[in-house]
Amino acid sequence: MARLNLLNKFLNSGPLLLLYYLSISEIDTNLEKTFDIFTFNLPIIIIYFWILKRPSVMGTGHIFVAGLINDVVMGFPLGISSLSYLVVCFVSNYVRNKSVNTTIASDWFTFFIALIFANLLFFSLLNNFSDIVISYSKISYNTFFTLFLFPIFWLLFSLYQSNFIGGQDA
Amino acid sequence: MSVSRDDFSIAFRSALLQRGGAQKFSILSLIISAIFIFFLDVYGFTAVKMARSFINDVVFRVSYIASSPSRLMPNLGKGIAGHLNLKEENEKLREVIENYKSLDLNLEYLTNENKNLRKVLNAENIINAKDIVLAKVLVDRNSPFLKSIIINKGTQSGIKKGMPVTQNNYLVGRIVDTNYLSSRVLLLTDLNSRIPVSLDADSSQAILTGSGTKNPKLEYLPEEYEFKEDVNVFASGKERIFIPGTPIGKTTEKGEVRLYVDPNQLSFVTVILTRNNKEQF
Repeated sequence: MARLNLLNKFLNSGPLLLLYYLSISEIDTNLEKTFDIFTFNLPIIIIYFWILKRPSVMGTGHIFVAGLINDVVMGFPLGISSLSYLVVCFVSNYVRNKSVNTTIASDWFTFFIALIFANLLFFSLLNNFSDIVISYSKISYNTFFTLFLFPIFWLLFSLYQSNFIGGQDA
Repeated sequence: MSVSRDDFSIAFRSALLQRGGAQKFSILSLIISAIFIFFLDVYGFTAVKMARSFINDVVFRVSYIASSPSRLMPNLGKGIAGHLNLKEENEKLREVIENYKSLDLNLEYLTNENKNLRKVLNAENIINAKDIVLAKVLVDRNSPFLKSIIINKGTQSGIKKGMPVTQNNYLVGRIVDTNYLSSRVLLLTDLNSRIPVSLDADSSQAILTGSGTKNPKLEYLPEEYEFKEDVNVFASGKERIFIPGTPIGKTTEKGEVRLYVDPNQLSFVTVILTRNNKEQF
């Protein structure tokens, strides 16, 4: 019984562990080596989906810390990724409060709003308060592919949720 | 209408302030904390700099350990493939050795000639590059926005901002951030990288600008300069950071430079502890 509880806890923590792992490890979702323009932001998809569907598996404090770690590893000013992640969190929370039943299409549309807000904040802060120069075409590709791949991850995470975690939070 | 406005404000407030369950902190408090940390870091308070340096050292080492499985898998594949191609590789290496033997003789002649010419010119040896530090690449996470690597040597080994970083004597980048036990190297391919270079027989001067892609571009060349394929590009050393003559890559017809070192394949690099230099920012 105790072993089963431990396994359940581990499976519940899966999305959070993935978020931390993506923040801290070299494993990333930028496949530029194989396809020059193909980059996307998986942490944002993870945060949006799980805050919308099961906020109990992803504490906002953890999201804040994961953002700080990401900044350290990537060399961005501290707090900038946390801010963009928290904006996604906020939009996701708002959509959860306002809607009863969501579909993949409605989630996709609201994710677009969250992504635009988060990226706008991220890049305007980086542009105005840091010396780091960024390519606007890369930002556009990143935003496009993140949005484009959202439904695929939506389905994968939904499968994970139905098989290992269970129904929606109250 | 007023009910709809109430709904909006309730949902808005709830999204910002709601706590409970796994949500130990409200989003608003965390956003305020993130903004506070961001501005402390951006405006460079000493305490934050020191804290960041300490966090960097810890996180980079944890990141290195966390990435070991991903590093092990490609090496395993390479190991098997390498074993199968052993004979072919041996023949190629024999050829390379023969080439190097002939080049070595040329090098000796050129070195002597260079020494004599320096004596004639009474040139000032601006940079003394005897001191080098060999460093291991801890993290080479491939960001779409920043092209940089983390190495396992920092201010403890005498590394300062601005110092050149090479691999097999080929330039790969420069130090942009130092911690006590680690440093960040900005690669030549990064959008923020600008390096004075010289090329071709006329020693044409240019600036090698990172474009965020695999091949950096040459800018500020003489007017009506025509790009040719396979012209060697060297660091000019005009900024007194890089050692003059450090090879970088070869030109393409598009005005780009094919680097000698693939920035995605770095495992060990050399930091040149240039003297007579203040920290470059």
